[in-house]
Amino acid sequence: MMLFHLLKKDVLIVKKYVLIMLAAAVLIPPFMLWRAPQYTGVLGFMLSVIFCVFMLLQYVSLKEYQFPKAATLLCATPYPRKMIVLSKYIFCMVTYVACCLIYGIETLIIPELGSCNIKLFVLMLFITCIFIGVYLPVQYKLGYEKTKFAFAVVIMASPFILPQLMKMENVNLDFLSLLSPLLAYGGITLLSLGILIVSITLSISFYSSVDLP
Amino acid sequence: MNDILKVENLNKSYEGFSLADVTFSLPEGCITGLIGINGAGKTTTLRTLLGLTKKQSGNIQFFGLEMEKNEKKIKDRIGIVLDDGCFYDELSLAGMKSIISSAYTEWSEQDFKRYMDIFSLDPKQKINTLSKGMKMKYALALALSHNAELLIMDEPTSGLDPLIRSQLLKVLTDYMENGGKGVFFSTHITSDLDKIADLLIMIHNGRIVFQEEKDFLLDTYRIVKGDAKTLTGDVRKLFLSISETAFGFTGVTKQIAEVQSFFPDAITERPTIEDIMLANIGGYKK
Repeated sequence: MMLFHLLKKDVLIVKKYVLIMLAAAVLIPPFMLWRAPQYTGVLGFMLSVIFCVFMLLQYVSLKEYQFPKAATLLCATPYPRKMIVLSKYIFCMVTYVACCLIYGIETLIIPELGSCNIKLFVLMLFITCIFIGVYLPVQYKLGYEKTKFAFAVVIMASPFILPQLMKMENVNLDFLSLLSPLLAYGGITLLSLGILIVSITLSISFYSSVDLP
Repeated sequence: MNDILKVENLNKSYEGFSLADVTFSLPEGCITGLIGINGAGKTTTLRTLLGLTKKQSGNIQFFGLEMEKNEKKIKDRIGIVLDDGCFYDELSLAGMKSIISSAYTEWSEQDFKRYMDIFSLDPKQKINTLSKGMKMKYALALALSHNAELLIMDEPTSGLDPLIRSQLLKVLTDYMENGGKGVFFSTHITSDLDKIADLLIMIHNGRIVFQEEKDFLLDTYRIVKGDAKTLTGDVRKLFLSISETAFGFTGVTKQIAEVQSFFPDAITERPTIEDIMLANIGGYKK
């Protein structure tokens, strides 16, 4: 229950942006279909997930940065620090699941968006886990400002990375179908969970040793 | 009387400051003030007790339980008021309450509503629209609405006007009368402690200077005023601190009988807590 309330806390402090991000998750795939049909499908879904998860996490981090003593008060209550960390990961995963649901519904309504299959969701889960798996421990270790700077560097490098990402549309994931679906998707899901577990352990370890303001 | 808090040899170092072997205990049923000037280590002590900053060594026991092994259980029994509220200021009072209340097993919505009414707070109001005094009242309402046995507050009266400070002190005495086992609060406004404290702990430069009952302290110390010419080297040693002017001297002493024998004509006065605090850090001036 504590986790649920901490999750509710994250939603409450960014509630102004939650609706905007949900709208973005709804609009990005059809927008891609309208403006850049060649990138509809995997890339549209990928962009909506990255945009929603990253932006909402950024807003939560920004609010925590603006009111740093609020986290101190939470840690002075019976909320354990590890639960506070864990709730951030769950917040990201809930956002991811919401994006999946929205995209799933959209593909039913707009068939031109492409097929909605488990392969896509598993691949995106893997990418999301890598993203938050790196971002959150770095933020717990370096703080919001330094992490923002580090990721700004990554964003500045994106013109060089993006062309490579564009090619992902042509990535042949058929090798996965050579394996049994259970093995392939189960393996990637387990790997994603493994990344999350290592990341959560690191984040808890960093946050537990921090002297709060 | 059982100790509700026992601290032994607590150490914590920062660059340029350290808590050194801080040892004290809080008996049940007392309002205890942690006094000291700004930067003495009051906030660091409270935060280290609550695990908000990590101690380097030492032992902390609340209600006879080790803090390290029973943190969640202990925090469930403590009400906390931190300086300046420490809230997400964009939330409403009801929104922030919904976050805090969920952490406690014995949250009482009835008590919370009662305190909100007493303090004339509107649950729909945004926290960032509250004055400093109102924020402190709200923090107190949160801290007192889960049947806390011990209330820990960091500088609760700092920056508040006399009326709000007086209301706050009244709430604390009511809390003790209604079954609270203890109040522990840091302050540098010692006049508040004159009114309600039973026990005083003084900290200076990260070290405990004394832990005494307030009445005992007030009986033990005296302000002495006399002719500066009579102050000789040996006599000076009887004073904790002396301030001299062209008209005479004013000193604070613990050795009342000896001083009176040296200065039978000197004027002696009962000191305030502030006088005692300043005398112990050598900063006394009157």
